[in-house]
Amino acid sequence: MSVQTEGTDTAGEPAVRKARIPGPPGSEDRGSGSPSRRGAAAPYLLLLPALLATLILLGWPLVKNGMLSFQNLNPRQLIQHLTEWNGGDNYKEVLSGSDFWHVVERSVVFTAVNVVLIMLLGTLIGLLLARLGKKMRLLLLLGLVLAWAMPVIAATTVYQWLFAQRFGVVNWVLDKLGWHSMADYNWFGSQFSTFSVITLLIVWQSIPFVAINLYAATTTIPRELYEAASLDGAGAWKSFTSVTFPFLRPFLYATTFLEVIWVFKAFPQIFAINEGGPDHLTETLPIYAFVEGVGNQHFGVGAAISFLTVLVLLVITSYYLRMVLKQEEDEL
Amino acid sequence: MKRKLAAAIVIAGMMVSVSACGGDDGKDTGKNAGPDSFKGQTLTVWTMDGSAPPQWSKDVQAAFEKKTGAKLKFEIQKWDGIQQKITTALSESNPPDVLEVGNTQTPAYAATGGLAELSDLKQEIGTDWTPSVSQSSVYDGKQYAAPWYFANRVVIYNKKIWAKAGIKDTPKTRDEFFKDLDTIGKKTDAEPLYMPGQNWYFFDGLTIGQGADLVKKDGDKYVSNLSDPKVAAAMEIYKKYASYSKAPKDKDEATPQQAQVFAKGKSGAFIGMGWEAGTAVQANKAIEKDLGYFTIPGATADKPEGVFLGGSNLAVAQGSKKQALAKEFLKIALSDQYEGELAKLNGVIPNKQALETNLKGNAVAEAAAPGASAGGTTPLIPEWAAVENTPNPIKSYMTSVLNGKSPADAAKQVEAEINKRLAQQN
Amino acid sequence: MKRSVFGRIWPNATAVILFVGFVFPVYWMFATAFKPTGDIISENPVWFPTNLTVGHFSKAVDADHFWTLVLNSVTVTVSAVLLSLVIALFAAFALARMRFRGRRGFIVTFMLAQMAPWEVMVIAIYMLVRDNDMLDSLVPLTVFYAIMVLPLTILTLRGYVAAVPKELEESAMVDGCTRTQAFIKVIFPLLAPGLMATSLFGFITAWNEFPLVLILNKDIEKQTLPLWLSQFQTAFGDDWGATMAASSLFALPILILFIFLQRKAVSGLTDGAVKG
Repeated sequence: MSVQTEGTDTAGEPAVRKARIPGPPGSEDRGSGSPSRRGAAAPYLLLLPALLATLILLGWPLVKNGMLSFQNLNPRQLIQHLTEWNGGDNYKEVLSGSDFWHVVERSVVFTAVNVVLIMLLGTLIGLLLARLGKKMRLLLLLGLVLAWAMPVIAATTVYQWLFAQRFGVVNWVLDKLGWHSMADYNWFGSQFSTFSVITLLIVWQSIPFVAINLYAATTTIPRELYEAASLDGAGAWKSFTSVTFPFLRPFLYATTFLEVIWVFKAFPQIFAINEGGPDHLTETLPIYAFVEGVGNQHFGVGAAISFLTVLVLLVITSYYLRMVLKQEEDEL
Repeated sequence: MKRKLAAAIVIAGMMVSVSACGGDDGKDTGKNAGPDSFKGQTLTVWTMDGSAPPQWSKDVQAAFEKKTGAKLKFEIQKWDGIQQKITTALSESNPPDVLEVGNTQTPAYAATGGLAELSDLKQEIGTDWTPSVSQSSVYDGKQYAAPWYFANRVVIYNKKIWAKAGIKDTPKTRDEFFKDLDTIGKKTDAEPLYMPGQNWYFFDGLTIGQGADLVKKDGDKYVSNLSDPKVAAAMEIYKKYASYSKAPKDKDEATPQQAQVFAKGKSGAFIGMGWEAGTAVQANKAIEKDLGYFTIPGATADKPEGVFLGGSNLAVAQGSKKQALAKEFLKIALSDQYEGELAKLNGVIPNKQALETNLKGNAVAEAAAPGASAGGTTPLIPEWAAVENTPNPIKSYMTSVLNGKSPADAAKQVEAEINKRLAQQN
Repeated sequence: MKRSVFGRIWPNATAVILFVGFVFPVYWMFATAFKPTGDIISENPVWFPTNLTVGHFSKAVDADHFWTLVLNSVTVTVSAVLLSLVIALFAAFALARMRFRGRRGFIVTFMLAQMAPWEVMVIAIYMLVRDNDMLDSLVPLTVFYAIMVLPLTILTLRGYVAAVPKELEESAMVDGCTRTQAFIKVIFPLLAPGLMATSLFGFITAWNEFPLVLILNKDIEKQTLPLWLSQFQTAFGDDWGATMAASSLFALPILILFIFLQRKAVSGLTDGAVKG
């Protein structure tokens, strides 16, 4: 952000060059100031709509939500439009219970497991796509796109049906494969099996995004780099580590960041599959906030939990955010 | 102390808004308002999916529009997220004028101040309402809703399977029932009874049959009474029932729909609402001729098993600007003519004993009616609604017991959660 | 270096297995939707339904106001996506092509906006919308859906803008175009695939949204399809045939859109790379 950056930055060139090129007549009229000042205002003007929209439509609800988190807000207060401030009581209630910390721990583990699976499998499938012949690639792309495009609510319903205790096709297959105890297995009866189904669902839906984009990214790697590598006598693995991976690294960082956010915030998948059950055991932070807040109509507490949820997410992603803030060049 | 204060605020709030309404719309408060004064107004009524048969709605609408000159709009609500919907709707400046509220939910909504007081109306049209069904609409000694219709569970059985097992009569006592189920288990390859582990309203009925209370007073607040031996006794009966079934121990009767499982003709019986017979027939037409019904038998032949008396009340939103018109609607909808028609069409128990003659010839309703006399509800306190929110801790309790925990241990496991929910402020 | 037979076969074999794995749930949804109930509730699954029925679909479409809901969903989704694309395009251009004070701060701001827990803010949003007398309207839905997808749209579009070779824009300007003209004539056509790809995310998010519309719009004339689908599920419980038919209907528009746009987007991207 220093002056020096602006001077040496290549992306700044067009703006500099602009001074030499006649601007549009419209902008000439108000151009009483120096051309550079006009250029300096342009990015802010371009960003203005997005910033205003974010400020009003996201910022306002966030502030409102923050205010609610300091209120005793139940159906009675909501219906009668009463405002009852109760200081930090909601936070005290949430943070002093053991539930919250269990949920935080569970959310972090859940997110980690899913993101690792998604990134690993997604990358492998993306690289496979690059290796396939045209026809097979189209076939696999079709499969990926179909899975990706399934609306979450529909996908969740389908998974409930696939894993249904009676007549579910998964239990039937396991039974036929010789796993007879699975014939009437109830997938939603225990924490681990419920999480397994949810994980499968989320990974199934998320891999396509990673794989397809990664494949698209590999196609932009200049051929010459591989040629140069093979001239140096690099094998397949070497050219992967020395060319492909470095080229994809920023992409992988950015995608991991997005997947962390998406998995951490995953709501319909978990809620619709088993409503955070059995016994609250698959509640992650957003589900916990929803069940306590909206489900139990304890809206103030729900607001407090949702605020804490954002804080936890910020801590988890802080590494990447710091990196972006510090970095000279762009990621995506 | 806090509750009283809360109540005082509610009442104060209501007085303010009632007088505000009077000031806003003078002609609306007139007691003997004739047809003209309502012209041009539209009354919105929320009913739940499946509650009001189309024929009934049509008849009531015609009668209402003729008498008042106002328009009537029924809006059918789905069950999904209904709590959020009602709570938020009651907070709006333009709420539905009349709404159907589940009987166990009514005290909680009455406590929010969102429902208008209907004590006058009860004086006028409700002196002969069956006390047990009117009770849920009373909060702090005042009437906040009008009882509409009720229903309770019966045994729905497969005549073919029972005949195959050589059973001639339907059982009159619980022990006879168990004996019959044993016979079916031995003589046929059918599952004697379909009973999932979390049919919680059936369990509630059993606790009513045992005379157990699910909550008790501790000082000025309510706490769980789940560890009461009477509750344990009810749970033991439930466990015995469940032992005749292969159904999942951690699912309720809706997942999968027990009627659909029953429709396959491989279960001897299930315990459900009368309308579930229709679900079964829809899944498998062939089952229709084999369907039979009887009252859930109790310990002795003279007293049927306790049942949960589910049902709905009609309430008027406090925020409605058409209070008088809403009451006109209630007078018509709940009149003997239309209350009787509803009972007849839907086979539900009406709000007055005298109207039960309308159930003649309806096999399900005839099986249900004796049970209703031994019926009860969940605890009628505003705090109770939160206990039943998903995930319902009592359902967890049931699953634990069925999986081998002692009722006492299982109760211990969930009581903290129940108490937490009971302690939630309104 | 010649690859062994195994070396040639395994990628294809893996691809086929993966294809089956990814497609199966989608296939099973459609297959179940077309099967008569007897074949659905059957001890042995019917893998390839032969006697097909559309009974489940008619049950699904039979719902009150079905077509109103379809129209609302399409209106809200398309408007939200277009709105967010337009706003995002300006922002993405600034972030990708210009250098200015606070640029990285803006990027991080949008990354943070991406984390907003919308599902649990519904009550706050509800109160704001209620107090502004905007309930039972498609407008709040549209703008909130637009803002839900805006951050990611900006961040993704920024990548596409950056991928368009700067030299093209520069040479256009050397040819006498203004910067705006250069953008419209040169960059925008190259961005089209990127815009399409980006819009997919918006489509799927807005099409799916459920908690907000549930409490904002109680008037059935102003509701959207996700409500219908979830209520359908509750009402029909384990009637898997009808539920799958409803899911199929709900998923179909997005599936078609994806197949259509994604191919364009991916091929556009790769073509661009090859030509560039």
